[in-house]
Amino acid sequence: MIHLLAEVDLRANRGDTVWHRSSAIAKLLLAVAVLGVAVFAPSLRVLLVAHLLGWILALSSRMPLRLLAALVSYPILFSGLFVVARWDGTWQTPALLLLRPVTASLLAAWLVGTTPYPDLFAPVARVLPRPAGDSLFLTYRALFALLQRADRLWRALRLRGGFAGPARRRLSHAGEGLGVLVVHSFERSRRIYETMHLRGHSGRVCGCRHYAEWTPADAFVLATGITFAAACVLVWRTP
Amino acid sequence: MSHLHLPDGMLPPWLWASGLALALFVLWRSTRGMTPRQVAYQGALGGLMLAAMAIPLGALEYHLTLAGPMGVLLGAAGAFQVGFTVSAILAVMGHGGISTIGLNALITGAGAAGAALVYRSLGPRLRPEWAMAWSTAAGQALAGVLWFAIATVAIRSAPVAGAAVHDPAHATERFTLLALPLWVLGVIAESVVAWGLGRFLARVHPGLMPFGTGPAAPAPGEAA
Repeated sequence: MIHLLAEVDLRANRGDTVWHRSSAIAKLLLAVAVLGVAVFAPSLRVLLVAHLLGWILALSSRMPLRLLAALVSYPILFSGLFVVARWDGTWQTPALLLLRPVTASLLAAWLVGTTPYPDLFAPVARVLPRPAGDSLFLTYRALFALLQRADRLWRALRLRGGFAGPARRRLSHAGEGLGVLVVHSFERSRRIYETMHLRGHSGRVCGCRHYAEWTPADAFVLATGITFAAACVLVWRTP
Repeated sequence: MSHLHLPDGMLPPWLWASGLALALFVLWRSTRGMTPRQVAYQGALGGLMLAAMAIPLGALEYHLTLAGPMGVLLGAAGAFQVGFTVSAILAVMGHGGISTIGLNALITGAGAAGAALVYRSLGPRLRPEWAMAWSTAAGQALAGVLWFAIATVAIRSAPVAGAAVHDPAHATERFTLLALPLWVLGVIAESVVAWGLGRFLARVHPGLMPFGTGPAAPAPGEAA
């Protein structure tokens, strides 16, 4: 799952669709609006409109189907637990339970696949306490540095037989491997702290307002929002 | 069970909205007086928490959370912030929900806080790896209870306003049967991994552990 993030992140920075050219704030507002409709949808038909838009947005961001399938697989698997537990013999309940989280997941895929992470996190960081906002950026950066190291570590463990034998031994080896990463993280955090000071850290990691710079491509986002609202009202009012 | 992040659309709005409000309040309280050095360390360990989630433990995208070890290493407040950040990053990837960021952070935070509190009493008495493993088990159990309570509310709530839930008692029973084995497996896996992590840190970098190297002599009933 986490490895997908690297590919999604690359596509967010290198893509060239109209969504990539739109501002982060416009996309964020559209995503929150569609998500709100999906969560509060009074009927299955309105939810279907939101779900359809989720697919249109995700596919038009030129994200490969393989990647999309992987991103939506988690809510499908999780909802499966609820569907089995709440089986009432109708198709409407499972449809509601599946479509809501999958729609949310598609919207998240579209948003994160078309928006570089500083632009995506900057508006979120503004509403969080300052240390928590900074932590968003630092955690995301740290993940990529650690992923490569973790990959090498797991490969070495596997080659040296660390993942052979009973589950208890394999898990404790995994724990020791994670210990290596904890020590590395500690040393890395000290370097980051020193670098932040050397570069004149002002108390906020990203003070940029790039995410809120409106672009001509935002007209597409606005048009999509208006079309979506109209379709929802139309479907809701139709008997 | 904190490693199965709650997605969007499964919970009644009053539940996730109050969870988000509570999580933001706890976040605001816990970040007061934090130094940049702490922010940097938490960011690095947050990345590790995400990287650990790349280790699959079987079906259903089941993976480690490291909530227990994070609670021991960072303390309850620091681990809650890391849990919130990780939940937020996962949510924008569609893994867990955007509306449920607060609840997912509270579950992870409960696991971390439980582990931190238990370690405080076990740390001076047991060897570091055992203290880490038992406190992680306690934290995971606590997080699992909270997760199960929230999921049960979701199971017993109507999918749309005004609709009725078909046989809620039976639905809860089926859900328990499905979720309980996963929860037990999760507690065991996290505890064994925490044991390995604690053993490594106690040998290589004991300064990172809250009680340094732990007791000088082996605890009663344990091999040296």
